[in-house]
Amino acid sequence: MTLAVIETQKLSKWYGNVLGLSDVTLKIDSGITGLLGPNGAGKSTFLKLITGQITPKIGSVKVQGEDIRNNYGLFSTIGFCPEQDSFYEDMSGWVFLKQLLQLFHFSLDESETRATKALEFVELLDDKDRNIKSYSRGMRQRLKFAQAIAHDPNIIILDEPLNGLDPLGRRKIIRLVKTFAKEGKTIIVSSHVLPEIESMTKKIILIHQGKIFAQGDIHYIRDLIETHPHIISIKCDNPRLLASKFIHENFVSNIHFGPEGNSLQLETSNRDKFFGLLPSLVVENKIDVLEITSPDDNLQAVFDYLIGK
Amino acid sequence: MTIKEKGYSHWDGEFSQKKLPWWPITRYGIKLTLKKKFFKLVYALALVPSVVFLVGIYLSERLEDFRVMMEGNSQLLKVDPALFKTYLTNDFLLFMIIIILVFTGAGLIADDIKYNSLQLYFSRPLSKQDYLLGKASVLVLFLLFLTLVPGLILFIMKLIFSGGLKFFGDFPLLPLSIIGYSIFMTVFFSFYTLLLSSISKSRRYVIILIVGIYFFSDILFAIFFGIFRSPYSSLFSLKVNLQQLGAAFFGVKAPYDVPWIYSLLILAGICCLSGVVLIRRVKGVEIVK
Amino acid sequence: MGSKKKSELSFVMNSVSRIFSFFFSYGKKTRKTKVFYFISLFPVFMAVVIKSSQIFSVGPSLTGIQIFSNMIMTFYLQFLILILSLFFGTSVCSEEIENKTLTYLTTRPIPKSAIILGKYAAYSLLAVLMVVIGLVASFFILNFEKLLDFSLYSILLKDMGVLILGVICYMALFTLIGTFLQRSIIVGLIFSFGWENVIQYFPGSTQRFAIVHYLKSLLPSHFSGGKFSILLFQLEPTSAGTAIAVLFLLTGVFLALACFVFSRKEYILED
Repeated sequence: MTLAVIETQKLSKWYGNVLGLSDVTLKIDSGITGLLGPNGAGKSTFLKLITGQITPKIGSVKVQGEDIRNNYGLFSTIGFCPEQDSFYEDMSGWVFLKQLLQLFHFSLDESETRATKALEFVELLDDKDRNIKSYSRGMRQRLKFAQAIAHDPNIIILDEPLNGLDPLGRRKIIRLVKTFAKEGKTIIVSSHVLPEIESMTKKIILIHQGKIFAQGDIHYIRDLIETHPHIISIKCDNPRLLASKFIHENFVSNIHFGPEGNSLQLETSNRDKFFGLLPSLVVENKIDVLEITSPDDNLQAVFDYLIGK
Repeated sequence: MTIKEKGYSHWDGEFSQKKLPWWPITRYGIKLTLKKKFFKLVYALALVPSVVFLVGIYLSERLEDFRVMMEGNSQLLKVDPALFKTYLTNDFLLFMIIIILVFTGAGLIADDIKYNSLQLYFSRPLSKQDYLLGKASVLVLFLLFLTLVPGLILFIMKLIFSGGLKFFGDFPLLPLSIIGYSIFMTVFFSFYTLLLSSISKSRRYVIILIVGIYFFSDILFAIFFGIFRSPYSSLFSLKVNLQQLGAAFFGVKAPYDVPWIYSLLILAGICCLSGVVLIRRVKGVEIVK
Repeated sequence: MGSKKKSELSFVMNSVSRIFSFFFSYGKKTRKTKVFYFISLFPVFMAVVIKSSQIFSVGPSLTGIQIFSNMIMTFYLQFLILILSLFFGTSVCSEEIENKTLTYLTTRPIPKSAIILGKYAAYSLLAVLMVVIGLVASFFILNFEKLLDFSLYSILLKDMGVLILGVICYMALFTLIGTFLQRSIIVGLIFSFGWENVIQYFPGSTQRFAIVHYLKSLLPSHFSGGKFSILLFQLEPTSAGTAIAVLFLLTGVFLALACFVFSRKEYILED
């Protein structure tokens, strides 16, 4: 049995009377794992625990089979991009990266080479000699990302990495993250912005109020939610006819008609059966279907269902 | 594309200007200061001299009863303007004022610069003067409670203990001296603290400057006085300048034979410098080159 | 086993040296450092003023070494090294927490003790340089007519030694305070300008509870007596050997405790 890259057992953390994380047991393997939750859910607490910044009150964290706490040797394979926008402001971006790389015990030449490469990755090479305090928000975010990847780590932990980036910057970072994943690295990305996570990975961990709500493939999680039926929206020329064909099926619980009279929304507890029947009904009754969508087959809907909104 | 009305309607009323736009800044500053650990203890410690002097004033009215204890020392309990000057310029009180300034004033502007809050302030209908007045008022309130209020209470208690207005008749200008000197000292220390708070975003560095400059000026005085033996060396020391001016306010002999106007010029000069720097430093947008 | 420990030790020393070079090159460029450099050159300005007044016969009839030993050293011993050590010492840990840059250091493959020791060494060197440059310059100005009198240089070296010892001991103490107290600077101020000032005037062994007592015990013997013995007022000195040993011991203990606390304590970088 191969070791999980990151493994937690009953991980719990509280700050005085405030619960940060409660009883989190999970394994994270290579590839991209999205950590999703609203603000204050416990994402940053979890990331700080797995990078040894804070100590759990209960439970343990193992990275590559070793305890992370005070195990500084592990950090040569970990790259962490923190959420806080903080730097050594009087340094230039180049010096900042170079000095941090020297802490990995690279030689001066190697540190300089890696710093240049990292700055090139994040398109900051032209501004490398400017002081960090003169950088824009997006440049600072890219620099933070650069310091996390400059030493070519196997495990990359990114806490809200796309904050403050413009759309092009976001695409670039997402592309880089996917490239790293293809190289076999383990990447954990935390965010409260659902489309960001969806565009990067299907493997997600949902967290809310310090607890893990769900872990796995987004569609798999969706299918697990049996109490909340799937919604399918169909735009067609004769919605009432289509509705009449479905109304007697026991896997269809609700039907709503759109205000403009050319669409209907069905709730079903069994997507497979529904989509199995739909094509034959459409063909037999010669219904002209313009559009079929699944409005709740995305992370937002899954998340909303799970936290009971 | 039509924009559907959803019950929103533009407000046609008039905006009324609040009479004290700076008051919320002051109120919040005081609240923050009172929340700090140990501040109340330090502030209570700073009030110890006022209690000691109050006891002294009481004893001065009961000299006969305490004659045995105070043999040969009755001149220590002579209540006159010099006593009030001694209270308001004693080294311990000045040192405690510096410590209070560290608690209340170090982060007043420095924290706003650090967290870029100045933009938030000036995106409201708040002028620079309102902002500075609001910040200064936090210091003014705490300092007046250490200087003016105890000073006036000591004066009133003297009248009460003596059972008449003779003391007031003997020294009719004393209340004005107390008020005038307390206000001057408060204004000076407020300018001093706000100046230093505005020049850095590191509160720790500002604390060092507040205490460091105060003691540095004193040490400079000690060194130059030790070498040159000139009373004019006293002009280097913030503490001694305040004491010189205190003597002038209360009409008593100054500690050093230097015209009080020089001390006033130096302290007023620091206030003016502070004003100039504050106007330049406090702005909504900082351009980083 | 022996070689494993040796390689671990050399790894730690390597980490310390990397942290040292990081913060020495960073620290010497910041604006605050420049301000402290300026303040530490004030004795040079004082020396120029005093010497000029002596040249124009309006100044005191004191020798340069008397002025240097009593006045300049007072400034350094009772003010400057305290202020420098307080600021830089507390900065070792507190600066990283306030600026929220601690994460960049603690997610690197270096022992936490190396962070403390490396940064302490860097900032101590900065403070020592500030002290030494001003001290040497003011010495030369005050004694420029006697520069060929080599016996004076032993006084300079002894005074320099006392101040350097003072810086490293005070820095170690404030580094320790910075690792476990949030309001380290206020505690440090009360210690420096309260405790250290007051306790040295207490009789008997109570003086030995102040670091400045041991520093003053090391001051050159020509200090004793005379109307300018400000620094030695009411001093009941400890022997030089004991004083040096105590100062080094205190430095070691403070640093060891600082490393211990820093390695174990959890620092929450609040948003």
